[in-house]
Amino acid sequence: MIKLENITFRYGEKLVLDGFSLEIPDRGLTALSGPSGCGKTTLLRVLGGLARPERGKVDGLDPARTAFLFQEDRLLPWRTVGQHITDVLPRSRRGELPRWLAFAELEGEGGAYPSALSGGMARRLALARCAALGGELLLLDEPFAGVDPARAARILEQLRGLGVPVVLASHQAPVLAACDVVIKLDGPPLREARG
Amino acid sequence: MNQGIKKCFKLAIPLVFWLGVWQLAAWAVGQPLLLPGPLAVGGRLLALAGTADFWLSMGATLWRVFLGLFWGAVLGGALAFLTHFFPWADAVASPAIRVVRATPVVSFILLVYLWIPRTAIPWVIAGLMVLPVVWGALSTGLRSLDGKLLELGRAYRFSRWKQLRLIYLPALRPHLSAGLLTAFGLAWKSGVAAEVLCPPDRAIGSRIQQAKLGLETADLFAWTLTIVALSLLLERILRRGLERGNRT
Repeated sequence: MIKLENITFRYGEKLVLDGFSLEIPDRGLTALSGPSGCGKTTLLRVLGGLARPERGKVDGLDPARTAFLFQEDRLLPWRTVGQHITDVLPRSRRGELPRWLAFAELEGEGGAYPSALSGGMARRLALARCAALGGELLLLDEPFAGVDPARAARILEQLRGLGVPVVLASHQAPVLAACDVVIKLDGPPLREARG
Repeated sequence: MNQGIKKCFKLAIPLVFWLGVWQLAAWAVGQPLLLPGPLAVGGRLLALAGTADFWLSMGATLWRVFLGLFWGAVLGGALAFLTHFFPWADAVASPAIRVVRATPVVSFILLVYLWIPRTAIPWVIAGLMVLPVVWGALSTGLRSLDGKLLELGRAYRFSRWKQLRLIYLPALRPHLSAGLLTAFGLAWKSGVAAEVLCPPDRAIGSRIQQAKLGLETADLFAWTLTIVALSLLLERILRRGLERGNRT
């Protein structure tokens, strides 16, 4: 279990998390749901070590061994689709490029630049880059924004097949339905285990 | 009318017009010592171009200008990174670079004349003019870098070298190109000015100085035309090269 204990976080004057505690399973797919501004992104950033809480601690996780998918694609306009993947792979794993292109359903697009991609394709590339980077935990902020539901379902299954625990934030009902655990962040955290 | 002919006319009409004005002015003045006509200058230019010294002087000047451009750009670039990342470096170096930028080139030429060999003065001066321009362009570029991409580089555990190669340098390329183009013009003018004031053995500036001392006005015009033509040509080549680099 990954344990967040008594986490308090604020952006300037705005209190986003106030003495927040939560246990997250360290296997399978866990979803964080809730309305915009409820702290899903902040929680992911705290887990990924990208935001330092004012108070509280995270146990059972080394933030340096997580891979984070940002809410924005953050693609490099001067790198091709293929280079985005190989840039995060160590030299010994460069041969995995076709596998990750297939993961994102971007076969044949390896030489394209981000400007030539649709919103959904760019999102899938960002997701594949994050998954290729890998680590002990994948933290995905709105991974399927702009991705059509059928593709999202297929990629979600591939994510499950990686065998790496995933914590994702999403608004999309089909995505939430496919996760093993859904944690609602509107008010005190509620856990809803499935399957 | 096809595009090629249109382009020729666009170039030829102003050229013929200004050559005509020049010729009329030369006739009006009536003293070739004060203002030689374009035909006389063209004749001298052709005669000079037939000598080995013309090409050797041109090569020597080009070498000094590019040497100045190189060291000024390398040092200016390094200082831009240093002053961006280290507040102590910014506090120490930035005021000095601004002073260099504000100091007239002639003051520098006369000062360094006292300190370094005459042959080194043109490239040292050219570099001094290039340094603040490249530093300024890259400093602006560094300040405007997308913080989200930098965060991505850290979050994805890119080494410093990888962050430089994949994020910093490509994002800074347009700023560097603009800075280098401006810097090249400055390097060219300041380098030749330094050659005129502190003439080395072989240089375009030295030949201008000789022409002035010998009251050979047609030669003075011919060398000046050479400088202008070379500057325009090299700026065009540099611009094309940088544009090609920005596209890839």
